[in-house]
Amino acid sequence: MTCKKTELLVVEYLEADMSAGQRLILERHLRDCAHCRQELSAAQRTQARLRHWQDEPVPQWNRIPESLQQAGKPRQWSGLFGWQWAPLSVSFLLALAVLFNVQVSSTPNGIVVAFGGSAGIDEAELAEYLTRLEQQEEQLQALTVRMEERQDAANGRLLESVLTQFGETTSRSLEQVIAYVEEQRQQDLQLLQSSYQQLADSDFQTIRSVQELATYVQYQAGSR
Amino acid sequence: MSLRDQDELLIDDALKGSARAWERLVKRYELQVYNFSLRLMGNQTDALDLMQEVFIGVFRNLHRFRGESLFTTWVFRIAHNKAVDMNRRRRLFNEKDLYWQQDADDDEVDPFEQLSDTRPQQDPAFELVEERGNKEISRYLAVLSWDQRLIVELKLFQSHTFEEIAELQDIPANTAKTRFYSALKKLKGLMEQEHDM
Repeated sequence: MTCKKTELLVVEYLEADMSAGQRLILERHLRDCAHCRQELSAAQRTQARLRHWQDEPVPQWNRIPESLQQAGKPRQWSGLFGWQWAPLSVSFLLALAVLFNVQVSSTPNGIVVAFGGSAGIDEAELAEYLTRLEQQEEQLQALTVRMEERQDAANGRLLESVLTQFGETTSRSLEQVIAYVEEQRQQDLQLLQSSYQQLADSDFQTIRSVQELATYVQYQAGSR
Repeated sequence: MSLRDQDELLIDDALKGSARAWERLVKRYELQVYNFSLRLMGNQTDALDLMQEVFIGVFRNLHRFRGESLFTTWVFRIAHNKAVDMNRRRRLFNEKDLYWQQDADDDEVDPFEQLSDTRPQQDPAFELVEERGNKEISRYLAVLSWDQRLIVELKLFQSHTFEEIAELQDIPANTAKTRFYSALKKLKGLMEQEHDM
């Protein structure tokens, strides 16, 4: 005995979220069909047998992946924060200091940190400070004038010294030039004198040669 | 704090690099994943391999978990996909082995002797598990084909509806129902044969 509806009936019946309407229809069919009742019962027993599974404990295994093992190592503060964020932190603090107009001043009572431009100075202190500033300015002007005068005197002495030195140098140079020229003139005169002497000597030899030649000629003529 | 909230906290911490949070998260689900793997693979070695692959997959994709479903549902979706992948690899490996073995044993095996053996063929990867009850159940499951075993796992042990199984396996719901019914019939036959029922 078989039934075409068995497969559908069994799987639908085992579906947990079956609606009440569907369940009523299926139960009505089961009352009338012994084959389906038998098949459903066997399927339920099979399921029940499989569900006897007792969870077995997990053997020891390495749960943490290698990448997480490296990342999970305790991080050193200096490595994480020291150098990586230090420049940014300093920039941020400086930006805050500028933004809030932070002033740090040293007073006889200690160091005063003030926000918003007020460093705790009253008007009398400010007037005294200004007076001191004016006095310092006058002293500075007087010092500047004295320095200018001193500088002018020094410049004058330097100029005089330079001129004197230049005059002496020039005088010595002229004397040297004259002596050189005189020496050259003497050398030239000596050279000229010796040249005239050589020329005169040469002329004397020429005359003697001519005289000897004339004598020879006269002798030849006499012998003929 | 609900389990879901605790999961979300642990996930957040694990994503920030906390090994301790990740370990706690794994410990919450490893028993379920390991037994899922053991029922499907049939032996402790393969079950451990599968479980490791599942949790590596979960870890790599943890940033993609949006909390739209329960974390356990998300984990078991990954577990299902990893199991399918592992079975595919193992089947390819076994087919290669069988090919060489077939060549070597051609002259020695009497084909009639093979035909005369009518006992249900068990998956050779299945080993005996420790618990007596579990050992029997593993032996029953080993008789099923991979697809049948997977659908029995999803339906009976993970309590999925046929619609959910159909979506997970990308098959029509009726195919899932037929496959499940065939598995039950095969198991019923085996149990009756052993006078177990």
